Amino acid sequence: MHRSSPSRHPTLLAGLALSMIALASCDYVRLLRPSVLKQLNPRVVRLVDELPAVDQQNEAIVGRLFPHGGLAHAEVGKDGVMRSRIHVPPNQFLWEPSVIVMPHGGDLELEFQNEDHNFHMAFLPSTGARQVVELPMHHGGRARIHLDQPGLYWFGCPVANHAGRGMLGLVMVKGDVPADAKLDRPKQRRPGH
Amino acid sequence: MKSMKLLMPNGALVAALCTVTACAHQPQSPVTEQGRAFTARDAAETHAAPDVASGVTADRIARARGEPQNWLTYYGTYDGQRYSTLDQVSAGNVKSLKLAWQFQAGVIGLIASPATFAFEATPIVVDGVMYVSGWDGYVWALDAATGKMFWRYRHAIPLDVPLCCGNVNRGVAVASGKVIYATQNGHVVALDARSGTPVWDQVFVDVRAGESATMAPLVVKNMVLVGSSGGEYGVRGHIDAFDIATGRRVWRRYNVPKPGEQGSETWTGNAWQWAGGTAWITGSYDPELNLVYWGTGNPGPDFDGDARPGANLYTNSIIAFNPDDGALKWYYQTTPHDVWDYDGVNENILFDQGGRKLLAHFDRNGYLFVLDRANGQLVRASKFGNRVTWGDIDPTSGKVTVRLTPSAQGTEICPGPAGAKEWPHASYNQQTGLLYTPVMDLCGTFTTSRQDFREGMPYWGGGAAASKEGNRGYVKAIDPATGREAWSHEFPHPVVASTLSTAGGLVFIGESTGEFDALDAKSGELLWSMQTGSGIHSSPITYSVNGKQYVSVASGWGGWMKGFAPELYGETRGSALMVFALP
Repeated sequence: MHRSSPSRHPTLLAGLALSMIALASCDYVRLLRPSVLKQLNPRVVRLVDELPAVDQQNEAIVGRLFPHGGLAHAEVGKDGVMRSRIHVPPNQFLWEPSVIVMPHGGDLELEFQNEDHNFHMAFLPSTGARQVVELPMHHGGRARIHLDQPGLYWFGCPVANHAGRGMLGLVMVKGDVPADAKLDRPKQRRPGH
Repeated sequence: MKSMKLLMPNGALVAALCTVTACAHQPQSPVTEQGRAFTARDAAETHAAPDVASGVTADRIARARGEPQNWLTYYGTYDGQRYSTLDQVSAGNVKSLKLAWQFQAGVIGLIASPATFAFEATPIVVDGVMYVSGWDGYVWALDAATGKMFWRYRHAIPLDVPLCCGNVNRGVAVASGKVIYATQNGHVVALDARSGTPVWDQVFVDVRAGESATMAPLVVKNMVLVGSSGGEYGVRGHIDAFDIATGRRVWRRYNVPKPGEQGSETWTGNAWQWAGGTAWITGSYDPELNLVYWGTGNPGPDFDGDARPGANLYTNSIIAFNPDDGALKWYYQTTPHDVWDYDGVNENILFDQGGRKLLAHFDRNGYLFVLDRANGQLVRASKFGNRVTWGDIDPTSGKVTVRLTPSAQGTEICPGPAGAKEWPHASYNQQTGLLYTPVMDLCGTFTTSRQDFREGMPYWGGGAAASKEGNRGYVKAIDPATGREAWSHEFPHPVVASTLSTAGGLVFIGESTGEFDALDAKSGELLWSMQTGSGIHSSPITYSVNGKQYVSVASGWGGWMKGFAPELYGETRGSALMVFALP
């Protein structure tokens, strides 16, 4: 049986390397790491196996499972502001990525690109007042929000029922409360420990 | 994409690669749009509130009885009486009371505790401006005569904030030009009272430890005092004081001692570390004695007393402390070694009688305690709950005899887990000399189970299922000089709203089914009623603007309904502040 070897195909090897570089710039590639794959819970795998039916509009259900546009870690700039980009692909009712991770509380600047054939808006959590940014077709928008506590915050498209069809997303803020806010007691066990 | 699916055996990998493809190819469009604040009106239409709050000082709050046109602090006055000398609306004309205006906030999008958010706040009114807080981090400044909004502020509250019972907030404090409140995720935020913009922001609880905040702050001297929530999460309850001008923390006092501290002998082993004793209802203050009176919550775990042998001080206690440093002056434990979740957080009403400085406290355990507030000595304990089977308390000695406790198989005990009176407040009418308290008459089945503590997770050590049938409610008028009932007005469901008593001879009360009622303070007779559209779980107030008296109540059913009125769990929710006046 004939087997091709990468060493015999330098063009293929270079293409593979370039693809890996391109992939490495995206957080989804983390999912492919063996260390991550080993952590996948069988129940999660079963859920993901259903995706061909529920990650498309008007297939298994009318809308799509949300938030399932992937995950991205916000990058911390030299000015301390965290930044991330969110893309709205055509005909999907989807934020991509739909989960943004902030390493700690602070300012997050989000840049949106709407490549869909619909008008959208981003309705965003922020301390003081929620923020909205309009996203006309094939235009982008930018908003800066402030989230100051660890936890899970939602964002969505407030136009019609775009949120119900799939345009719901999450901002996850990691980190901790200030030391002087913590309880005076020994370190405690948490769930899973 | 199809070829990838053929090549890859694992659905997870297929999904991941599909998404990667989308990620690697993102077209660029011109960024033409900028984010803006989601506000009620365009900037051109927003108005700064009149500068009425800069003149509010602790000294002025101490004399709040002298300016009944305002409601300057959580209970109206430092003494916690919830009594107003306004008498324009009276027993003789209350039947003509009409809706003057209403404010509706609604809910936009997802919120924490989406089925149990509630409108529980007590508004503060200063010279025609009303400041009121809501669920999910909201504060609004309104024209108290028209309801027109001056500004609003919303602290972003995460979906996963560890709330015990509902997404609620009970009110703000106003002083020195600031509106100060505690957010559900434990920030103490001071806003400029004119613009609603933050002046300072301090974190005072640890959400990762299961703590949260729901109560209205109390201004004392140059400080604002706040208490922690989270008694169902095995926290260690505390009260913190912050400097109003700067937000600097002045002190923190824990309500449960560490080993070696006074009271630690009432704990064994490590139980003090997850002991509860939270402080989620606002205290009252006697400026002459320079003592703050505060109720403390249940010990943790709630129902499994074997996990924490001892009296468990200072949980379920009335504590009196020096506001300058938080030092304890005296305490009175209303339910030693509580195993029924009978939090002792309820209000402490200060009043004088027979030349004595007294304190009245309607406890969840079904007993009214009248204490000498100078030294904490018991004057009298008297039963006000209808069905009280957990135990007996001797009227003069205060000795507690326990009759029924939770068990592995479940024990039917009265009152239920929310007690004979939930947090909504009683009032004291200086004209009649009577206390007016809301009452819940229901029981529950209490069970125990052994549970290992895990930080950030509920720590109940059992459970309590409140009865769904036969539940009733009351407003009771009680003479604090004797503990005897002067009159009682029965309602078809537990009453979980505060009473407001006025010099007009009235007691206002909200029902769990939405009716807002005025009762005759002398007889309890129903004189006026208005259906607000949603259950009332809040505290009505009264004030006046330009000589016209208004009565306001927040209507918005929610909170720990499974504990205090499980038969009404499916009732409609609401979010309206309704304000009434004579035509």
